[in-house]
Amino acid sequence: MRFARILHAELRKALTLPATLVAAGTSVAASVALAAYNAGGVRAAIDSGRLDTVGYTSPVEAALSATPLGTVGAVILGVVAISSEYAVNSTDAGGGRQVAATLAAAPGRVAVLGAKAITVVLLVAAMAAVALPASLATARHIIGSEAPAEPVGTIALRAAGVALYWALTALLALGIATLARSGTLPLVVLIANSSVVSFSFLLSNLTPLAYYLPDLAGMRLFAQESWAMVDDALDPVTGGLVMGAWALGLLVVAGFAFARRDA
Amino acid sequence: MISIDRLSKRHGARTVLSDVTFDAQPGRVTAFLGPNGAGKSSTLRILLGLDRATSGSALVDGVPYRALRHPARAVGAMLDGSGAHRSRTARNHLAWVAAAGGIPRRRVDEVLAEVGLWEARRARVSTFSLGMGQRLGLAAALLGEPAALVLDEPVNGLDPEGIRWIRRLLRGYADDGGTVLLSSHLMGEVAEIADDLVVIAGGRVVRSGPLSEVSAGYDNLEDAFFGLTGGSAR
Repeated sequence: MRFARILHAELRKALTLPATLVAAGTSVAASVALAAYNAGGVRAAIDSGRLDTVGYTSPVEAALSATPLGTVGAVILGVVAISSEYAVNSTDAGGGRQVAATLAAAPGRVAVLGAKAITVVLLVAAMAAVALPASLATARHIIGSEAPAEPVGTIALRAAGVALYWALTALLALGIATLARSGTLPLVVLIANSSVVSFSFLLSNLTPLAYYLPDLAGMRLFAQESWAMVDDALDPVTGGLVMGAWALGLLVVAGFAFARRDA
Repeated sequence: MISIDRLSKRHGARTVLSDVTFDAQPGRVTAFLGPNGAGKSSTLRILLGLDRATSGSALVDGVPYRALRHPARAVGAMLDGSGAHRSRTARNHLAWVAAAGGIPRRRVDEVLAEVGLWEARRARVSTFSLGMGQRLGLAAALLGEPAALVLDEPVNGLDPEGIRWIRRLLRGYADDGGTVLLSSHLMGEVAEIADDLVVIAGGRVVRSGPLSEVSAGYDNLEDAFFGLTGGSAR
């Protein structure tokens, strides 16, 4: 009962925060645009008869190659859910932080963080439910009738894998930003890690243990074995479980810190 | 009733509060008075469960704030202005506070009208003046029709009309049996509102009691304040 109220409040907060809507909307638009661009490349190869210039002809691959953009969106959703609590109002307006109002309204801190985690997962699920079908439909439309047929079940499973990877990434971001009590540093590090270059990936050149780090562990939730960089990655189920354990562990640590320290 | 009992707080080697003890009674306006940095906000933050005391207790109707079943109905609080995220609108801010407190949605519009922010309900908090932020913070405190109000520097940034308005509002609240605890570093404003005074300086309560007792022996409250806090003007 009390938790339902806190969850309701957290959902309301998230949906009335412009940053949430901008992050989700931009990720969806960018994912669809990249899927269209990739599909355009496939279409051009098919038209010119030079299929050797592309790694795939499948619309599913064209759509899912945009996955890192959704990962960035998930990172922002996870970070903003907590960093918005610590954003300082201008001194003109009293210089306060929302976290004081949040914890005065709901003193149960573990419940507050739990409600934030559920909110973040729901937001990511909504983002995936729009971005993935739209990307897939766009890619299929552009590649056209030459597209290889793929069973619906396989496609659905891979889309679910992508959504799960995004959700776990968002929870990791939530945990890290809770510990950091701010948004800037976690955003810079996590966005660079998921878009420019993955530190875990660099580390995997030194030791195979790097495949157990959170972002690489879950790689095969969306990446095919044929993707060169994930040759030795954990299989989807093991990897998903390892990544899930990281997210859960980090949230427990973050929850402990959030409950103990002065707001 | 709010009871603060031998509250102490240390940050490392620095002592923020030592042995702070006082009550705020129902039906009375209690002003927590002291220069900036004296420990007023720290005390109120501990009372509201935001910070932990090193020792001592701060209770609302005999229980710690964190153990209250319906905090929004027991205590309406305002700390550091509105507590609203700057990119949210006034109404959306109050809507989530109401949701968290299990308070009916209609109260949001009622308190917006009550504090004079009805016209600004769709404006983002980042466009608010300090006075409007204070009004929004007060609106959030009033949402649950609580038995007690705990307000940190509520008159800060209000114009003279706003000060008159809040004075009347708090007087009415106490006269209806509510407990009002407000902090301030502005003696003039407090003298007009308060029934009881708690004067704090350097983390210690230097005097507490009814207004007339605390200022006894001084020409006015301002002299009493500087006399008791051993201070020159900040």
